Amino acid sequence: MDEVVLTNDSQPSEHRFRADVLICGGTGCHSSNSHEVLLALESEVARRGLSDEVRVVHTGCRGFCSMGPVMMVYPEGILYCQVQSSDVPEVVEETLLKGRTVKRLAYQEPTQHQALPLYHDIPFYGKQIRIALRNCGLIDPESIDEYIARDGYAALGKVLSSMTPEDVLREMKDSGLRGRGGAGFLTGLKWEFARRSQSFPKYVICNADEGDPGAFMDRSILEGDPHSVMEGMTIAAYAIGAAEGYIYCRAEYPLAIARLKTAIAQAHEYGLLGENILGSGFNFDLKVKEGAGAFVCGEETALMASIEGKRGEPRPRPPFPAVAGLWAKPSNVNNVKSYAMSPQIILKGAPWFKAIGPEKSPGTAIFALTGKINNTGLIEVPMGIPLGEIIFDVGGGIPKGKTFKAVQTGGPLGGCLPAAALNTPVDFDALTAAGATMGSGGMIVVDEDTCMVEFAKYFLEFATAESCGKCVPCRIGGIRLLETLTKITEGKGTRDDLEVIKYISKNMRESALCSLGQLTPGPVMSGLRFFEKEFIEHIDDKTCTAGQCKSLVRAKCINACPAGVESPAYLALVAQGRYAEGLEIHRQRNPFALACGRVCPAFCEQRCRRGEIDEPISIRLVKRFMADQEIERPWTPARIEGPKLAKVAVVGAGPAGLTAALRLAQRGYRVTVLEKLPVAGGMMAVGIPEYRLPKGPLFAEIENIERAGVEIRCNQSLGDDFTMEDLFDRDGYRAVILAIGAHKSRKLGIPGEEKAGVLHGTDFLRQVGLINRGAAGGRRMPEVAGKRVAVVGGGNVALDAARTAWRMGAKEVHVIYRRQREAMPAYAEEVKAAYDEGVQFHFLANPVKVLGDDAVTGVLVQRQRLGEFDSGGRRRPIPVEGDEFTIDLDLIIPAIGQTTDTAWMKNTGIEASRASTFVVNEALGTSRPGVFAAGDAVSGPATVVEAVAQGNLVAVAVDHWLKTGEYARPRYETPRPDIAQLYDLDAYANAQRPHVPELELVVRQGTFREVELGFDEHTVREEAKRCLRCDLEWLDYMKIARPQAVTEEA
Amino acid sequence: MAVVNITVNDQKISAQMGQTIYQAAAAAGIDIPVLCHHPALPPEGACRVCLVEIDKVRNLQPACTYPVTEGMVVHTASTKVMEARKFALELIISDHPLDCMTCEATGDCRLQDLAYAYGVKGTEFEGGRQHHYAIDDPNPFIQVDRNKCILCRRCVRACNYVNGVEAISVVYRGFNAKIAFGADSTMEDSPCEFCGSCVEVCPVAALWPKMSVGKGRPYQTRQVETVCSYCGVGCKLILHVKGNEIVRVSGADGAANHGFTCVKGRFGYDYVNHTDRLTKPLVRRYLLEGKPKAHAAETAHALSLPGNGHTPDPDMEWVETSWDQALGLVAQKWVATKQTHGRDAFAALCSARCTNEENFLAAKLTRQLMETHSVDHCARL
Repeated sequence: MDEVVLTNDSQPSEHRFRADVLICGGTGCHSSNSHEVLLALESEVARRGLSDEVRVVHTGCRGFCSMGPVMMVYPEGILYCQVQSSDVPEVVEETLLKGRTVKRLAYQEPTQHQALPLYHDIPFYGKQIRIALRNCGLIDPESIDEYIARDGYAALGKVLSSMTPEDVLREMKDSGLRGRGGAGFLTGLKWEFARRSQSFPKYVICNADEGDPGAFMDRSILEGDPHSVMEGMTIAAYAIGAAEGYIYCRAEYPLAIARLKTAIAQAHEYGLLGENILGSGFNFDLKVKEGAGAFVCGEETALMASIEGKRGEPRPRPPFPAVAGLWAKPSNVNNVKSYAMSPQIILKGAPWFKAIGPEKSPGTAIFALTGKINNTGLIEVPMGIPLGEIIFDVGGGIPKGKTFKAVQTGGPLGGCLPAAALNTPVDFDALTAAGATMGSGGMIVVDEDTCMVEFAKYFLEFATAESCGKCVPCRIGGIRLLETLTKITEGKGTRDDLEVIKYISKNMRESALCSLGQLTPGPVMSGLRFFEKEFIEHIDDKTCTAGQCKSLVRAKCINACPAGVESPAYLALVAQGRYAEGLEIHRQRNPFALACGRVCPAFCEQRCRRGEIDEPISIRLVKRFMADQEIERPWTPARIEGPKLAKVAVVGAGPAGLTAALRLAQRGYRVTVLEKLPVAGGMMAVGIPEYRLPKGPLFAEIENIERAGVEIRCNQSLGDDFTMEDLFDRDGYRAVILAIGAHKSRKLGIPGEEKAGVLHGTDFLRQVGLINRGAAGGRRMPEVAGKRVAVVGGGNVALDAARTAWRMGAKEVHVIYRRQREAMPAYAEEVKAAYDEGVQFHFLANPVKVLGDDAVTGVLVQRQRLGEFDSGGRRRPIPVEGDEFTIDLDLIIPAIGQTTDTAWMKNTGIEASRASTFVVNEALGTSRPGVFAAGDAVSGPATVVEAVAQGNLVAVAVDHWLKTGEYARPRYETPRPDIAQLYDLDAYANAQRPHVPELELVVRQGTFREVELGFDEHTVREEAKRCLRCDLEWLDYMKIARPQAVTEEA
Repeated sequence: MAVVNITVNDQKISAQMGQTIYQAAAAAGIDIPVLCHHPALPPEGACRVCLVEIDKVRNLQPACTYPVTEGMVVHTASTKVMEARKFALELIISDHPLDCMTCEATGDCRLQDLAYAYGVKGTEFEGGRQHHYAIDDPNPFIQVDRNKCILCRRCVRACNYVNGVEAISVVYRGFNAKIAFGADSTMEDSPCEFCGSCVEVCPVAALWPKMSVGKGRPYQTRQVETVCSYCGVGCKLILHVKGNEIVRVSGADGAANHGFTCVKGRFGYDYVNHTDRLTKPLVRRYLLEGKPKAHAAETAHALSLPGNGHTPDPDMEWVETSWDQALGLVAQKWVATKQTHGRDAFAALCSARCTNEENFLAAKLTRQLMETHSVDHCARL
């Protein structure tokens, strides 16, 4: 039988080309006009007389769809990205004639900003192993010769010439290949069942009804390498004893269908399909059946019903298709990918396949990466690879520096997994155990801007629309689930609805007829499991943190602000020059406009919709200008309730404590704030340096709060000057709010940390801050001038310390951080400013020993590499043994995190967590009745605006508790300000965000002068008009009348 | 048939190979509720009311489709099963009008009985979307109320597998799925023959005889089993009688029809209480009085129907009489004819509405008494 083995010798010897240029013709690249590139290239090659030297090939999908159209140049193996037809002359000139790469078309590695022209250097391809995709993008899918040249049909030859059907079954079973359609049933075993059925004829069916949103694995294989699927099916037919096969492909894949039909015709011509294949006496023929686009037809019994011409609906099993399938005859249904892998298993042997990936899920997994990920596209990776490596290495991470939130695997019927699951090995069993499913290979990545309730709802909408309606749990249960979820996204949900969701989900999973119905609740269930907090926020707080649920989100900026400040309203007022009114609206939710106008990270700007068009509104600087206008006219906060006898004590005069005190005073309580330090302001005073927040604006705002009737007593230390008992029993306070912040620096925990010359970040900043704020109290500035300083850490405290040390005349300032720059928690602008000011950064480095006898002389630093993912989705740094270096130093400032000082808490009946934050209930009440907590002491180190938000909430909670004696999850509510829009928004369509003037670099050193200089009035008023007024659009959406425009006064 | 031993609720029972769990349990007297299942139709597995728990099988399975296998252990009333059944019923009821007080099927409604048995009140998913279809199919026989339809598809199966007409199907997907006639047209525009098998199997009042609407609840009527008089098939019918009026006809499980009928048997009963119906034999006056028959021309005149302008001949008038006298007259005439014109002057033609026994007697009468072979049957024509 040797003569039937195919070799290339049977083909006439081909013309040899000097170079091959492959242009991807997959649907992704095709829709970014790869066909034009192909035509342009062909004509350019002809024009330059290279037709005999250069061959242009139209291939199937290369996988790198985000970079399409993709062009490969062989023999060099150069990959060009996003090639347009206008680029073609340059490619021909440079690469094909002169042998140089065109750098600008090469892949740009996003973190190192490096051009990687060679295919195998690109991380996207680096971790891939291509079995089913091995020919995709490499061969012309319309040429059977090219397939044969890549060992195509050699497996079929081997099977027909030297293997019995039983041999094939054994090989397939030994390989451990599990069905790549999603269920993961052993393919070899399935074939064996079909073989055992003694009823004829039998059928081999390929399930190519790929309908998951965002999935295109099967399509790419059919488009890029149709023969591999056909060869796999022919082998299966031989193994089970079938003579007829169907490829059920959805009609929405016209290219795949066309290529399949071409391939079938070619296979017939070569005697590889039809009667007496390869002279073996074995007959097999294939038909393509076009599906009409019903998702449920991907279910095997529905698929067969559809082939039979019936309504595509599943039927209960048993009988299983291996016994009674198509036309009630034994049938074998496998997914495209399973068939495509089979010839390689036969050819290279079961042990080869089994050696890839884990024991129980051998081989490779194919995924279509989509969503908020840099490298969207098609990948094939070894099973068992951690999920995080797919997303961050192969997928290139999350675009625009956003944070990874979740990944949906298994398509619309799968589940989502959070950052904490990034180490999960990707295989059938591990994904199921983690709460998702393997599915057919869709992988949708979402970032922080995705609401998980809305996300679950999206998939549910899909699943309910695709339900066939046969069984009750799916037909009606799905709708009821969707209705419950919709209620929640509209802010009409109750806690009971969560129980309803669980009840429906559990019973649908248990009782629906087919896997479509059984798995419909998957995304909701996993969403609820991993993101329950988000569901509860929608229900209890009527908020959608991600800013997606339209009914709950008037404007993304308001929504993004922890304190819920009404940015569009005050922007509209600033545009009219009505600063006092704008500020009044601001202060309803945040009394620290002056401070936040300077130091707020501006969550509002990160979500601003204008930013999706050009750049976000410069909200913070508009606010700063607005607040600065009123500095001369001190604000006296208004009372909103009459005076009360009850007294409340607030411990800690930071933003949380002061805000809480203000809100309670406005509600008529008698409030006293007790502050340990000689100045009020908390971290605003002694953490944030003077050059970012000058004392003038800060103290002006604290005086406003005093004007509301709040008494602030400084130098009062809890535990030293007074106790909790004193507050309740001696002083008669009815409630106490602990807002004592997080001022204690975490220790490095390395040898030598006790040496002179180690000064912890918060201590250093506090000392400098107190002196700068005019409360030296005998303290002396730390000696920094002329010294070599290293700050350890990557947060804002570290950056503040570094920039402060630089201002104090340090000779060298180093920042040592154990992760990479992108992972720094510090604000990007701060990092950039520190770079500008000459701070030296050492990333992936961690101090292991402080050097020196008594005083510090340096630090021994160990290099780190990135290991597995931590629960927050960041990669854990792992020390690289033996890779150490020394930095010579005089001063080390560790700033690796802050905690709350809990030393005084013994025997107070107040509990703290392991992270030294207070354990609080939903009403921010601590374990001791009447004692509440807020700010960094609850949340851990955070921002001013987050502390303000907690101050608002704790005040509402305390007010409620004092009035009713009950704890209730607080909601801080203020009237909705609807401000008319008086200008023509279209006139500002092209207006640009202005650049912020900053203090020149040369005058920064040696002073603590404010770096950011703010805008002038004209700039501010014009900038405010760039606002798109999402708040007014929301009124339209909710069918509420827009405010009437009144004539502009200013 | 091979015997299969299975355990249902700790009870060991013997089943036949090829039986479903439902069939095996029913044979052993173990009740498993069904809704979409109908014994005369192929199982569907759609309603999920008959779910049972099977050891070593993932998920609950419908007893109506799941075949028994040796050693199988089944639980028909576990907590999981009861919850899933109740869940299915709650869902069905959540898209079903709660107008039982005016519903025709009340008292003979599978859904109502199951809701009662499982304590489903209809408040479980209150406020959810419900269908509001118009009740407007214009055919004369069957009222189609899709709002009550629970998509059990019994009608679809009855139409396809019993009558073989395939007039009913399910169209659209998911929550929008509904039963449709022809290409989602009206019943009259579809291949429907109005046999009413769909009405027969409908477990609720989604399909109901139009003639019976408002004529009384099943428990207000007397059910009289009878044999259909339209033809000789011998379909057993149940007449639903209220007072002395037939208000509805349904199929009985007779050997010839197993509950199904044709359009005539089910809907063609209005003659029974019709005012035009003859309840006593009529004989023309001249026959009664022994007069000779009038001439042909006069006969034509005399036979003219009332109101056509002619005065009827009083001799040709129909007169009520007794069966004995009427049949006696017929016999006299037959004998006279045979004597006068010979036996070949007589021929008998039987009706398809006659039973076999009646046909047998007719043949016997023709051959033995009338001494001729001229006997035939309309069905041969």
